[in-house]
Amino acid sequence: MGFNENQTATIQASEPVVSVAAPELINGSHAVIQSLIAEGVQTIFGYPGGAIMPVYDAIYDYQDQINHILVRHEQGAAHAAEGFGRITGEVGVCLVTSGPGATNLVTGIADAIIDSTPMVCIIGQVASHLLGTDAFQETDVMGITIPITKWNYQITYADEIPEIIAKAFYIAKSGRPGPVLIDITKDAQQKLMTRPFVHKKCEKLISYHPRLSPKEDQIAAAAKLINQAKRPFLFFGHGVQISNAEQELIQFIEKTDIPAASTLLGLSSVSVDHPNYVGWLGMHGNYGTNVLTNQCDLIIAVGMRFDDRVTGDLSRYAKQAKIVHIEIDPAEIDKIMKADAPVVGDAKRALEMLMPLVKENNHEAWRAEFKKYDVIEDQKITQPELAPTTEKIKMAEVIRTLSNKTKGEAVIVADVGQHQMMTARYYQFRKPNSFITSGGLGTMGYALPASFGAKVGAPDREVVAIIGDGCFQMTIQELGTIAQSGLPVKIIILNNNFLGMVRQWQQLFHQKRYSFVELQNPDFITIAKGFGIDGHTCGAREDLNASLDKMLASDKPYLLEVLVEKEENVFPMVPTGACVADIRLE
Amino acid sequence: MTSYTICVFTENTIGILNKITTIFTRRRINIESLTVSETERKGISRFTIVIRHESRDAVEKLVRQIRKIIEVLAVFGYLNEDIAYNEIALFKVSTPIGAKPLDIETINKVYKAWVVYWHLTYVIIQKTGTEEEIFEFFDYIKPHEILEFVRSGRVAVSKSPQTLVDYLPEAEWEYYQ
Repeated sequence: MGFNENQTATIQASEPVVSVAAPELINGSHAVIQSLIAEGVQTIFGYPGGAIMPVYDAIYDYQDQINHILVRHEQGAAHAAEGFGRITGEVGVCLVTSGPGATNLVTGIADAIIDSTPMVCIIGQVASHLLGTDAFQETDVMGITIPITKWNYQITYADEIPEIIAKAFYIAKSGRPGPVLIDITKDAQQKLMTRPFVHKKCEKLISYHPRLSPKEDQIAAAAKLINQAKRPFLFFGHGVQISNAEQELIQFIEKTDIPAASTLLGLSSVSVDHPNYVGWLGMHGNYGTNVLTNQCDLIIAVGMRFDDRVTGDLSRYAKQAKIVHIEIDPAEIDKIMKADAPVVGDAKRALEMLMPLVKENNHEAWRAEFKKYDVIEDQKITQPELAPTTEKIKMAEVIRTLSNKTKGEAVIVADVGQHQMMTARYYQFRKPNSFITSGGLGTMGYALPASFGAKVGAPDREVVAIIGDGCFQMTIQELGTIAQSGLPVKIIILNNNFLGMVRQWQQLFHQKRYSFVELQNPDFITIAKGFGIDGHTCGAREDLNASLDKMLASDKPYLLEVLVEKEENVFPMVPTGACVADIRLE
Repeated sequence: MTSYTICVFTENTIGILNKITTIFTRRRINIESLTVSETERKGISRFTIVIRHESRDAVEKLVRQIRKIIEVLAVFGYLNEDIAYNEIALFKVSTPIGAKPLDIETINKVYKAWVVYWHLTYVIIQKTGTEEEIFEFFDYIKPHEILEFVRSGRVAVSKSPQTLVDYLPEAEWEYYQ
């Protein structure tokens, strides 16, 4: 069907007065969709409603070019767009209506900004003459989202649409990625543009110039510190994945022989098998990485931001070490840790530029120190977790069995809590770009929608969501989205009938006063079956292998509920306010 | 507590003030004074924001956060000695019949203040100067009843030879017109 016929039909429906307009002029809604297509968007996660109906009317004509996934709650759209953005590096797109549609997105937008995730949210707004009148479903979305967007803008004229959408995509994806929100009044969607639609990609803005290539003097200063260091320690974060710097990072640590540890969001950028990989950092990270943070003489931080869950008590954090901080966002430099050699730029470019300046080195003795701690951690924690004598299954063995069965190459989407930390600890990532979780905001309910967003972005990869019983019930309705779209994501619920992480803290720091953490759960499998999704409950250790096999063999969405030990704790642990060197093993 | 003057250059569009102030609010920094106007360059606004803070480090972080706003072209943080600055104040002073008359000569010559409006029972006096100078005059005029007093935000220009064109070259700007 030709585009012009449909376009004319739409214009006549919404704007009968201007049906005589020149055929090359399109209305705002068509401009929105054509702009998205021109930006390369193939999938939109959305939910219709009054103020966005003109755009939904336009999408109807472009179903052969744009795949729209109808979520069950706008928060699901935001997290799905995040999952898509994280796995592809491209911009995830949400489309929702004004008022409650927009406010339901807020959690996802806040999640995206703190985890540097590229996203464009297009939101309907009441007609411009109604702005500020408390009209039906009017909310000051611009005001609400200022602190949680990289950029937001309200469009009140159809003519603005192509330029603003191009700008939105450029801002969302470039530099340190983040969410951009475009609020479009209903009249701007309905009215005809006064000039022919032209899409011009945005490549430059007067007031925004993210620096990609670091300054040479910064690189030289960093290289000098790296070459002088006796006990250098490299930390890599989400920035490595965002800038596709995995290869450069591996070349760098191989040439310099520096041990490298990951942040939570850096996981999977370096394979667990790499000899220089020594584990991950932070509250539930590895023993050696945390303790030796306070014994190294140089930290090379690549694309990470010294989150408080990584550093613990700052006054006792790495005081002995100099810091090289490679970071694209200048506001992160010196924000938490004073950098002795700041390098502002893209991680990939920075590592490329450092390579010829750093010396080949041998840090075998220094790297061996990590192994000593590994032995202790292995004996005290890992082995008991993986080969338990408990009657009930433990989370760690589920994760490790899954890891073995998927060869460490699946895309793992973890929700927030104990199961998230267990996933980070026991899944052995062997392929880059394989771990998606809500790190900064800690958004419960993230994983189910993010998993189908990731599946859209990586249809050829196995995508497994690991979710707690508490988290699952926060976005449980997205089972409907998964069923309707037929996206074959695999869902594992680690069910301990508790809000496990809060319970752990109550046990350790609140004298076991279990205040509102026990859950009376529904029958998850019956619910899944109600949505048309097959599932199985595994309650016995001898059934675990077969259960996982069955789940992985399915070419459809599948829910596996595993009944796990009710009161297990995640260790090691750096309690809040403690020093990384005082990490607890029990 | 040290006084800092933060000059922010932005595109002149709706909502920028909100985008800037939210950065102060989140860090619990109170704005002592605020002045906004368009610069010599059309379409570019200049915000002059005065705050008091004990930590220079915190102010530097604040400046970097403001710079992250997409519409912000440049941000500068200044100490008082780095800038020429002034405020303007208006005093509505009661002059009832039979009361002690105002000493206009002292007001003009000593305090460099001017009567800008005469009424039968009151006058409006304009005083330009630093915060300290304005409050000196406030103390002087206080014995006459002050019916209303208003002070503007600070306006400030850096003493350095740098101009707007230096960090925002003309050619670059033309590109976007």
